[in-house]
Amino acid sequence: MFDLFTDYTLRTVALGAGVLGIVSGVLGSFTVLRHQSLLGDAISHAALPGIVLAFLLTGSNEPLPLIVGAGVAGWLGTLLVRAIVRNTRIKNDGALGLVLSVFFGMGLMLLTYSQSRPDASQAGLDKFLFGQAAALLRNDVITIAILGGVAIVVVALFWKEFKLLSFDPEFGTVLGFRMGSIDVLLTTLVVIAIVIGLQTVGVVLMSAMVVAPGAAARQWTDRLSVMVCLSALFGALAGVTGALLSSTGARMPTGPMVVLSASAIVVISLLFAPNRGLVWDWLRSRRTVVQSGPQDQVTGRL
Amino acid sequence: MAPTPATGPSASGSGVQTTGDGDLAIEVMDLTVAYRDKPVLWDVDMSVARGVLMAIVGPNGAGKTTLIKAILGLVDISAGRVLIGGRPYEQQRRRVAYVPQRGSVDWDFPTTVLDVVMMGRYGALGWIKRPGAREKHAASEALEKVAMSDYAHRQISQLSGGQQQRVFLARSLVQDADVYLMDEPFQGVDATTERAIVTLLQDLRDSGATVVCVHHDLQTVTEYFDSVTLLNVRRIASGATREVFTDENLRATYGGRMAWLKTGSPTEAARD
Amino acid sequence: MGRVARRAAISILLVGLAACGPVQAGGVPDPGEIASRRIRAVATIGQIADVVRNVAGDRVDLVGLMGPGIDPHLYRASEGDVVSLAEADIVFYNGLHLEAKMADVFEKMGGSVTTVAVTDDIDRDELLNPPEFDGAYDPHVWFDVAKWMTVTEVIRDSLVTIDPEHAELYESNAHDYLAKLEDLHRYVAEQAQRVPEEQAVLITAHDAFNYFGQAYDFEVRGLQGISTATETGTADLSGLADFIVEREIPAIFVETSVPERFIEALREAVASRGSQVSIGGSLFSDAMGDAGTPEGTYIGMVRHNIDTIVAGLTASRESES
Repeated sequence: MFDLFTDYTLRTVALGAGVLGIVSGVLGSFTVLRHQSLLGDAISHAALPGIVLAFLLTGSNEPLPLIVGAGVAGWLGTLLVRAIVRNTRIKNDGALGLVLSVFFGMGLMLLTYSQSRPDASQAGLDKFLFGQAAALLRNDVITIAILGGVAIVVVALFWKEFKLLSFDPEFGTVLGFRMGSIDVLLTTLVVIAIVIGLQTVGVVLMSAMVVAPGAAARQWTDRLSVMVCLSALFGALAGVTGALLSSTGARMPTGPMVVLSASAIVVISLLFAPNRGLVWDWLRSRRTVVQSGPQDQVTGRL
Repeated sequence: MAPTPATGPSASGSGVQTTGDGDLAIEVMDLTVAYRDKPVLWDVDMSVARGVLMAIVGPNGAGKTTLIKAILGLVDISAGRVLIGGRPYEQQRRRVAYVPQRGSVDWDFPTTVLDVVMMGRYGALGWIKRPGAREKHAASEALEKVAMSDYAHRQISQLSGGQQQRVFLARSLVQDADVYLMDEPFQGVDATTERAIVTLLQDLRDSGATVVCVHHDLQTVTEYFDSVTLLNVRRIASGATREVFTDENLRATYGGRMAWLKTGSPTEAARD
Repeated sequence: MGRVARRAAISILLVGLAACGPVQAGGVPDPGEIASRRIRAVATIGQIADVVRNVAGDRVDLVGLMGPGIDPHLYRASEGDVVSLAEADIVFYNGLHLEAKMADVFEKMGGSVTTVAVTDDIDRDELLNPPEFDGAYDPHVWFDVAKWMTVTEVIRDSLVTIDPEHAELYESNAHDYLAKLEDLHRYVAEQAQRVPEEQAVLITAHDAFNYFGQAYDFEVRGLQGISTATETGTADLSGLADFIVEREIPAIFVETSVPERFIEALREAVASRGSQVSIGGSLFSDAMGDAGTPEGTYIGMVRHNIDTIVAGLTASRESES
């Protein structure tokens, strides 16, 4: 464990994954509450054609244009989802699934095409699919921290607007807020989180990072502020634990370790959280029946 | 459909019941809302004077909720317009409060009763500003009016149907509005709560506010409401309850779906 | 979409495509017929293509699937590739799971087109069997020039089999080329001697150089495993950084077909330990250089590699002080 402080690589990766966990935890709380858990999955898959196109257009293997491409494609994907829901009979989950598969398919197609270009492998386009957390550089962590910091500040600023958006958007419209703009703002922040995550856990696993911490946090509290903070904590925990686990043995890939840690946190929360946890539910039902015997349904008397 | 003539202090002959004040709280003109090719509201006229407690009734699919939402700008209008106090709705948002149906939100959301009521003040706060002591105070007062003060810090998922309804009512009270649009505020509440809500609405009316409710229970219309609008995609009739709430109009509104009870008062058959 | 699902989808697609469309199935070509025209040959990696070109000369119409800079571990066949493969008289591939994502394609083609895994004749005992790659062999055999000479013989023999009329030509070309490879093998061994023993450690992005190490006496470490399709863990990176510092290794090497950032990360890790390691240069690992350049040929590539390695591991000692 002390390696966390002494080992440069572990420190760098843990920091990067940890910040990613915080950001995706905070934003994921809102997507989970809005029943949009598939959103993270959709955006991260939709980002693929953007990455490849950015490479094809710029011919560069620098991470920056690729990340911008990822962000733009992911963002366009969300706009398309909104347009589909608005103008067709297809509902939110259908639209997300549709955009996810079509964009990802286009991305794979472009990826295959790009193989004919000599620099494709150098750019590590394939790596965006599954992440390359262990290869996080100092600059990457700085970028992650800055982008993540901006996202968190925006959430803090627009706290009540996001709460309104998640609980009762129609009421928000009546009050005079432009709920459409707030929706786009929140979604844009999610896109930023996804883009941060692409370099650590990759496209395929990023959806887990957006959903897991939020879903886990919901189990432990009934207050939104606590939920968001817990979610950030869980996300950070998953990131750091994943990095630590990856450092314990050879060939322990970091990205999957992070996601597995996040999943473990979810399972524990689902089972053991007081009030909402399954184990507590079971204990409670046993206790009341066994101790008190049958209850009169009308008078409530035993 | 020819408007029902009004009698009363200032008969204006256009189906409008006024209480002496010339300003119309709500004016709906030629309102048409179509979803794809299907008309949901067709050429609806409705005028509501200030200080009136009005019910909107009609069968399922009549467009009652759509009418409320169209006034609030929550659905797109195909034709017609809406004026609040003589001006377009967008300019008068502050004056209009909304109580949606209970089922329109997920009550498992992690927040407390007080928090939900405070949301009614968000409009006045504007962007970014956080609710503070003043907003908390206003919310607490509103909770008292609906007798929910004890539940201020309760998680909203623990509320019963009637309690949820009262929370939404309280939320509308803090908006400092003088026009209230409510969608089935009595849906699924027990008798005591219903009495309490009626009293609250009548108090609001007495203090000069205008309250329009989509209402589902035909039996209580006469008792609770001064005016009523009968709606079935088109406006069948609108005006003072005692004049407009007739068997003939009801038949025209509900078509064949009527069952006569021994008491002679009409009620809607087999609500689906 | 999981990897399994993807492979299944591609397999289905390929079978469908191969079964229909205006494609001439290769089959076993008729020797008489083939002698009158050029052989349609397909090679996967450039190293194989280069040998085929040298042995067959003008007798062959060669399609090379993977060009310069392409990673064969991750390469997925496109529809155009499938058409080329189906129309070919003979297909040369490395085998030993190098072209991992094309395994299904070769299986399907096996029946109708002559496919030759050029490494088949290499004695299995001479192949490296790394512990993490349970049951499978390290496929990067081309870095041991002696083994690539065996490969040349296999290619020559295959060409003779399908085109016996020109057997003399193939044998004569092969003879010349084998002589060149002999020289190359000697050159590499000589150059390798110039690096002092303690510094004879080759560190690259993935475990592609084990045969090089075995043949020419280098210790070899890679950041990723045998295949670039795997993901590294922090322990691997840290471990390697420790190793570099401990053994005072002067240079590490980038590969042309693997993203640079891994090596960058390794360098940062070493720097954080207060030590210094330079990037010795870029090596060709799974792919060769651009066509038309010396590094675009097998011999040129191998020379470039050994020269770069030796320069990096010897010269850096001076520049450090």
